[in-house]
Amino acid sequence: MAASERLARLRDAVVGDEEPGFSLAVLAAAVAALVSLPLVALLVRASNYGLGHLVGLVTQTSSVDVLVNSLVLVFWVTLGCVLVGVPLAVLTVQTDLPGRRFWTVVAALPLVVPSYIGAFTFVSAFGPQGDLADALAVVGVERIPAIYGLHGTALVLVLFTYPYVFLTTRAALLSFDGTLVEAARTLNHSRWAAFKRVTVPQILPGVTAGALLAALYALSDFGTPSIMRYQVFTQQIYVAQRSLGVPEGYPALLSLQLLAVVAVVLALESRIGGNTSASYVSRGSRQPGRITLGAWKVPALAFCAAVAVLSLGVPLGVLAWWFADAGEAVFEFDPGVAWNSLKVAVAAAVAATLMALPVAGYAARSTSLFSTLTDRLTYVGYAVPGVVIGIALLYLSTEFAQSLYKTVPLLVFAYVVRFLPQAVGTVRSSVLQVDPKLTEAARTLGRSPFGAFRKVTLPLIAPGVAAGAALVFLTSMKELPATLLLSPIGFETLVSYIWLVRGAGSYGAAAIPALVLVGVSALSMVVILAQERYNG
Amino acid sequence: MTQRHSQTRRRFLAAAGVASTTALAGCTGILGDGGSGSGDDDEPTLADFRGSGELVSGRPAPGGTSIEELPDLEGELSIYLGGGEGGRYTTLVDLLARYYPDFEPTTDTQPSSQLANSIVQEYESGTTQADVFWSVDAGSLAYVTENGATVDLSDDTVSAVADDRFATDQWVGLAGRSRAIPYNTNEFGESDLPTSVDAFASESRFADNMGWAPTYGAFHGFVTAMRQLRGDDGTREWLNSMLDQNPARYDSEYRVAQSVTNGEIGAGFGNHYYAMLMVADSPDAPIDLAFTENDAAALVNTAGASVLDGAENPDLAESFVRHLLSAEAQEFLATRGFAFPMIEGVEPVGPLPTIEELSPPDLDLQALSDVQPTLELLRDVGILS
Repeated sequence: MAASERLARLRDAVVGDEEPGFSLAVLAAAVAALVSLPLVALLVRASNYGLGHLVGLVTQTSSVDVLVNSLVLVFWVTLGCVLVGVPLAVLTVQTDLPGRRFWTVVAALPLVVPSYIGAFTFVSAFGPQGDLADALAVVGVERIPAIYGLHGTALVLVLFTYPYVFLTTRAALLSFDGTLVEAARTLNHSRWAAFKRVTVPQILPGVTAGALLAALYALSDFGTPSIMRYQVFTQQIYVAQRSLGVPEGYPALLSLQLLAVVAVVLALESRIGGNTSASYVSRGSRQPGRITLGAWKVPALAFCAAVAVLSLGVPLGVLAWWFADAGEAVFEFDPGVAWNSLKVAVAAAVAATLMALPVAGYAARSTSLFSTLTDRLTYVGYAVPGVVIGIALLYLSTEFAQSLYKTVPLLVFAYVVRFLPQAVGTVRSSVLQVDPKLTEAARTLGRSPFGAFRKVTLPLIAPGVAAGAALVFLTSMKELPATLLLSPIGFETLVSYIWLVRGAGSYGAAAIPALVLVGVSALSMVVILAQERYNG
Repeated sequence: MTQRHSQTRRRFLAAAGVASTTALAGCTGILGDGGSGSGDDDEPTLADFRGSGELVSGRPAPGGTSIEELPDLEGELSIYLGGGEGGRYTTLVDLLARYYPDFEPTTDTQPSSQLANSIVQEYESGTTQADVFWSVDAGSLAYVTENGATVDLSDDTVSAVADDRFATDQWVGLAGRSRAIPYNTNEFGESDLPTSVDAFASESRFADNMGWAPTYGAFHGFVTAMRQLRGDDGTREWLNSMLDQNPARYDSEYRVAQSVTNGEIGAGFGNHYYAMLMVADSPDAPIDLAFTENDAAALVNTAGASVLDGAENPDLAESFVRHLLSAEAQEFLATRGFAFPMIEGVEPVGPLPTIEELSPPDLDLQALSDVQPTLELLRDVGILS
């Protein structure tokens, strides 16, 4: 992608001939090794069972069904996200849709609703005997289509992940050269033909990039399929880990299968990203003339409004309704639960930031293969679904570190593994913006290497470090499967509390924690946006 | 949906607090001098343990060993709490914690089968987390016991349970629950209800008139029992005939009872206490319970507890289990959860038969842990997706 190219360019510009110190390399390697531990544990565990046993499991269990279900879900979610995200992007960028700015913001906002909270509210509204069903029963509608299963899962995932496609497509549309369309028009192409032959190829890489993000999300999401009762890898791994009479090694086998599918998606992403990076970042282009919607204005607005109602109106409306309906009970919410969430998320943010500093510093200053490798290894968390990290850490602790089993440090470590890439990413791009000559100057003025770092580099990268820490903090707050698998007994967090009351059906009790998590999500979006601006 | 459930419960519990003093007018003095028992700092009294409403009023004071006669609970205790009857079990734990200021219980609430699985995994890796496993069904207790993860209980604790079907060396029953047929009394008379589960799958008056909750754990226990009694093929046959009757699907057995009450269906399959919740909520509700005889639909299961091998505080754990078999705790489970009590001297609530009057099938409750084949069968027949 363009980002890697830009990084390389920046690196060439700022890195002198001098390689960073040996100690930095060791530190970075140590961090990389540490966060790779869970995956190593998973592989060790799986190899304990032997290949024959695992292959036997594939045939003897329903794991093929799970694979098929997961792929079918990914297909529909990806398709749905394209069908929702691309039109919204085209409408808000290239047409005279009334209130385009407004719709742009609205279309991006569903990203701030954690998908499991979205699913939870959808079940409450549209589930059997849900609020909507009750309302319709009054007017004589006996049954509404069941929300559970594939279509419910796909619907919810599309509604809360289409913004990935929307945002990447929008970026592609904004940056592509509008004069090309005009050229096509002068060559007597109709508007539609010009769109098909010029616009589509130009924005396709952007669409694909977003679609792959959505696919990856659909594959790794745990909460939505669990709530919607659809059997996919994440949900099955969790169930298999906790059910009676499940064959030995089944959770490990499913985890490996899921990782294999993730690897395929990532490989696709790097290929597509690599081949076409040039086409959708051409800059300084002019916008083509806006398409006049004419009579299509009304259906276009209806489409935007329908998406907004489903993806924002339903979840926020239901949460507000729970809040109002719970009355006094709302205040029975135990603040200790929020305090627990806060503590582990702060610990994760601090630990991830401390670990990100050597990795990012090394990666930004070194061109060696080794630095690329350590940098890449810390990205494990982006690729590995939370439920797999949870399972892997359960294995790791029960087999090699019993004293860590279901302790707060292990839970924090899970968050660090999962979200370290966010910290590394933001810190690295800030380090790249610091001119190494400044540190050199400090060194020639007699500062020690650490002194130079503290006096010169650190103040300059502080905003990036803070943004990275904030992101780790906010995403740790809402991580679901790792929290459920690894929390110590009696240690309740906002997330595990929501999960518990959801299971018990006391929806009103979930109102406050769910609203807090939506707020936390919104804040992390703000941090990301601010950070992007900072990076220019 | 379940919103209404919790509201009902809340209203019910609130009513319990208010009405308990009236209910207790004649029998104070079990714990200290009775009193209002409303303030959080006060030592709870029988009034706090006991439920309320028409079903409960006029009950005699419970017999059996009172909490007062048991040694004090003192120290930290970790409890794996299975299911928990919509929060009722944690209420009981809270009451005990209020009764003993130096007793600090921590509970982790998850479905019983999940906890059973965790306990065995933790036992095998030497990372036991909890002291007590309090489960809503005997199957998961059996699973834990069979895997060696529990320790022997003392004779004193085991002998507190009156019926030896519900106690082993390693776990004791705390609250009996029977499978039952909740039926709408406007639609059926008492004598209309067959005593065999097969009749519901064959007679035309039950076609399009039954309800079940196939995703519900208790339903899976029922089908598992049937598999033990008549084999997989026989069970498949019954399920297929039942499907031909086109039963309405619900996501919980509480919903089944609710739909029986409002006449949406004539009868259903469920645990006995859901119908009692309807009656407690509205004494005139047109719902009653029928029990089949000697088949899976009359299965009597029990919630129970055991002490875990590797518990940090096994003595406290055992004493806690003994407290759950005290007169007050059993009265709590009988009057608030409508369970069949496990000790002599505490009677089931209102119209319920005693547990001895039921005709459950001859089945080792330990066999109920074999749930995986049941789920596969249900999927195979097309009941579960």
